[in-house]
Amino acid sequence: MRALDLKLLRDLWRLRGQALAIALVLAAATSTFVLSMGVSRSLAETRDAYYSRNNFADVFVEMTRAPRSVVDRIAAIEGVGQVEGRIQQYASLDMPGRIIPVRALINSVDEHGYNRLNLITLREGRLPRAGAPQEVVVDEAFAQANALGIGDDVAALIYGSRQPLRIVGIGLAPDFIYSLAPGDLVPDNTRLGIFWMGEEALEAATDRKEAINSLSLTLQRGASEAEVIRKVDNIVAPYGGAGAYGRADHVSHAFVANEMAQLDAMTQVIPPVFLIVATFLVYIVLGRLIRTERTQIGLLKAFGYSDWAIAAHYLKFSLVVAGLATLGGALAGIWMGRAMTELYLEFFRFPFLEYRVSGSVFLGAALLSFGAAALGAMGGMRTAVRLNPAVAMSPPPPPVYRAGMLERFGTWGGFSATGHMIARHIARWPIRSAITVLGVSLSIALLFATLQFLDSSRTMLDSYFLRAQRQDMTVTFVEPRNEDVLFELEQIPGVLRAEAVRAVPVKLSFTNHTERTAIESTAEDGMLSARIDADGNELGLPPAGLMLSRRLADKLGLSAGDTVHVELLGGRQTELDMTVAGVVDEFVGERAYATQGVVERLTRDASPVGAALLRVDPAERASILTQLKDMPGVLGVTERDASMERFEELIDDNINTMLFFYIAFASAISVGVVYNSARILFSERAHELATLRVLGYFRSEVGIVLLGELALLVVVAVPVGCILGYWLAQFMTAMFASDLFRLPFAPSRATYGVASLVVLGAASLTAIGVAMRVARLDMVRVLKAHD
Amino acid sequence: MAKELAFHGIGLSKIYQTGETQVHALRGADLEIPSGELLVLLGPSGSGKSTLLNIVGGLDRPTSGELYYHDTDLVALDDRQLTRFRRANIGFIFQFYNLIPSLTAKENVQLVTDIAQDPMDAMAALNLVGLKDRADHYPAQLSGGEQQRVAVARAVAKQPGVLLCDEPTGALDSKTGARVLETLALANRELGTTVVIITHNVGIAAMAHRVLNFLDGRIASVEINESPIDPAEISW
Repeated sequence: MRALDLKLLRDLWRLRGQALAIALVLAAATSTFVLSMGVSRSLAETRDAYYSRNNFADVFVEMTRAPRSVVDRIAAIEGVGQVEGRIQQYASLDMPGRIIPVRALINSVDEHGYNRLNLITLREGRLPRAGAPQEVVVDEAFAQANALGIGDDVAALIYGSRQPLRIVGIGLAPDFIYSLAPGDLVPDNTRLGIFWMGEEALEAATDRKEAINSLSLTLQRGASEAEVIRKVDNIVAPYGGAGAYGRADHVSHAFVANEMAQLDAMTQVIPPVFLIVATFLVYIVLGRLIRTERTQIGLLKAFGYSDWAIAAHYLKFSLVVAGLATLGGALAGIWMGRAMTELYLEFFRFPFLEYRVSGSVFLGAALLSFGAAALGAMGGMRTAVRLNPAVAMSPPPPPVYRAGMLERFGTWGGFSATGHMIARHIARWPIRSAITVLGVSLSIALLFATLQFLDSSRTMLDSYFLRAQRQDMTVTFVEPRNEDVLFELEQIPGVLRAEAVRAVPVKLSFTNHTERTAIESTAEDGMLSARIDADGNELGLPPAGLMLSRRLADKLGLSAGDTVHVELLGGRQTELDMTVAGVVDEFVGERAYATQGVVERLTRDASPVGAALLRVDPAERASILTQLKDMPGVLGVTERDASMERFEELIDDNINTMLFFYIAFASAISVGVVYNSARILFSERAHELATLRVLGYFRSEVGIVLLGELALLVVVAVPVGCILGYWLAQFMTAMFASDLFRLPFAPSRATYGVASLVVLGAASLTAIGVAMRVARLDMVRVLKAHD
Repeated sequence: MAKELAFHGIGLSKIYQTGETQVHALRGADLEIPSGELLVLLGPSGSGKSTLLNIVGGLDRPTSGELYYHDTDLVALDDRQLTRFRRANIGFIFQFYNLIPSLTAKENVQLVTDIAQDPMDAMAALNLVGLKDRADHYPAQLSGGEQQRVAVARAVAKQPGVLLCDEPTGALDSKTGARVLETLALANRELGTTVVIITHNVGIAAMAHRVLNFLDGRIASVEINESPIDPAEISW
């Protein structure tokens, strides 16, 4: 080994603490990169493989009822590949021993195995056979959550009639990677099952002989989705077509895509923060190393080493650190990626989801980490190259101190001599001090920006569940009913109040923008539902016209006072121009709201009860649920508290895993920054600190000179970190917003406090650890040396 | 006339363990330093004089032996008590000044007056060494002689019982060296401070009341100087 490389190894060993602290921060960058990129790529690859293997369709449309022959007409559209029609029907299940309502979405499958699209992957068993109308395949997650297996029987209420079902297969399909029961915010495998039943059997059970209510198709390569959708809509319109849509609007696909977009957003925000800090750390540590090795550099140059050889020597120092970080970070990233993938499997139903990191992800991580380290090394390398050997071998000129801004402040404040030492040292090294402040504040910012998602979820919970939904139960019906059903519900003992709500699918057009959505209607005097805007205000329904959610209004490019063209989808083909009376800033979904009266002008069917909201006496809950189960026309019952609990559970599960990572990451930055600052400070001031000890200062007093400077910088970093965190959090919240929901930005004061305290704690422990070295200060030896 | 003893040491020895070798820096020195004496320690490098000075000043501990400052048993003190002893009684002056570069001359003196019990005013101390006009200069803006005088002012400012000087003129030319020594003699004469000076320079011995000659970790001989001369008259 060459002598210079030996020196490199020894330098690394001597500075191992600092090198490790830098590696820690770089490893955090690598690991978060490997984590989010890896998980996102794994999800994408798994999803794409699943889609292509199981022929996931490109365009979907639901109708009230259409003859099977419509399939051939649609297949004739230019650009359409395969088309398949099926029946989709919600049913309620009678699960023995369970009073909570359980729903199933039953899909028809060809008994002879002629299906081409959205194919089922069977885990066990087989598909339903012809002539066995009771046979069903049940989705895996539901079967697991409810401890169901092959051969088990389930009683279902399908289309008003009770029917025994027997499970013959357990499987899953690409159109149900993610499934949500109507009205739910998070998936609940215990209360919603996806079933597949023989086509003939479901036709018979739903009175749809040779008829379908759902259609999927694939597009030929190069076909225009918008064009095909337009033509499909024209064909299915007479059959109550609810508007065809592409994958982007398919619930399951949209949720998976949304998750991947969030992961990509994380990749763009979090690793860069670590990279910036690591670059700065390399910059200050190498800068200090080169200052202390000034004479050696002069000597090496005098011996004939080239500028490049010396620059490369210091570059290698940073690259070795980057190498260690890449390795450690990649391993940590894989480990965390596995944990996160497990988490995903809880609510995404894939036949397989393997966390695999491709070589390109590792390569990307390595490039970032080596790049940041090399960039940080540039400053030091330049100094080393520029050193003139003759000048370098003589001792450096004494550092020049002068009164800075703090200094003038100090004279007013009557600082002690040691106070001046602290203030002037900060002023003497402004860049390094700024880097310390920036590093610590970035760690507060990062922790804050991640922790505030907790506040965000709580605010959403509060606004969506507690304030917007005041009902105890929501009863959904197979078909919209007239108001008589409300009186019927109020007859059930324990039901205190019943109100009608209904959502009708519509197409809204304004200028050249068109959006598919639903208008939700409630009674004019409704008390059980409310629209809460982002500021927490409750907005009443306008007596005439529509109220649009902000996101929908923005997409259409309209504002209050504009007139929007409304086209009813499904049922009658009414078209109307309506005034947009107001816009509401909401967190969930993109919808329009109107009073019952306004919606009836559109539907003209006097059936405002798509679902009923109930306020009930909690003591009567069980008996009410039992009666609802037997009530004809009832599709399902959602209990608000159960949904809320499920949502909270999901947050808690996520948060506990993530909280650990976030705190670890934020601490990594502050430990890395403070440790390096403290070590540099200590090595620069060892001589002065020893002098103070000789003059009769106690260890604790000397420690304060060392810690005082750090404490001052860290204290300055707290407000800076809170401001940076506020921005970063806003930025991340905006990046996380999707068509499905957007997170409220509502950080609580406690979160600022927690983020600051965690980082202050990590910083203090690190600094105190370094300050312990004061105890080992050898006064005699330090003073013998001429600095 | 039996003057009170400032320091009284019996059989002081110091062994440094460096790696596998033991270095006997001090091999059983007996020492008596009367209060108010100006004592010079002479001897070649490694003869043990700095080691003795560091032990006497409470920077280091003897491996064996006894050491008293007036009635205080220095060997029995823990680290915190030794620090308190230094803070209260000892002023140090080193060959390389050891000023804090980020503090002005006046503030370097304040470093000591901030923590001393009965210090003189920092400006008065600087006045004593003739540097009143340079009070607001940083060490980098002062010459070597001026820096050493600031160090003297810093040592004197707390009005210590003892001034311990390790090669105070080692880095100075004869003219500035003489000025520094004059200040030390002044402190000894006017304030009654006990002064111990380590030097290689035999000429300096002429200003001492007594001279201890060191050789191989032992006090080889003691000379008593009946008529100490003024530092200005020292020939370098």
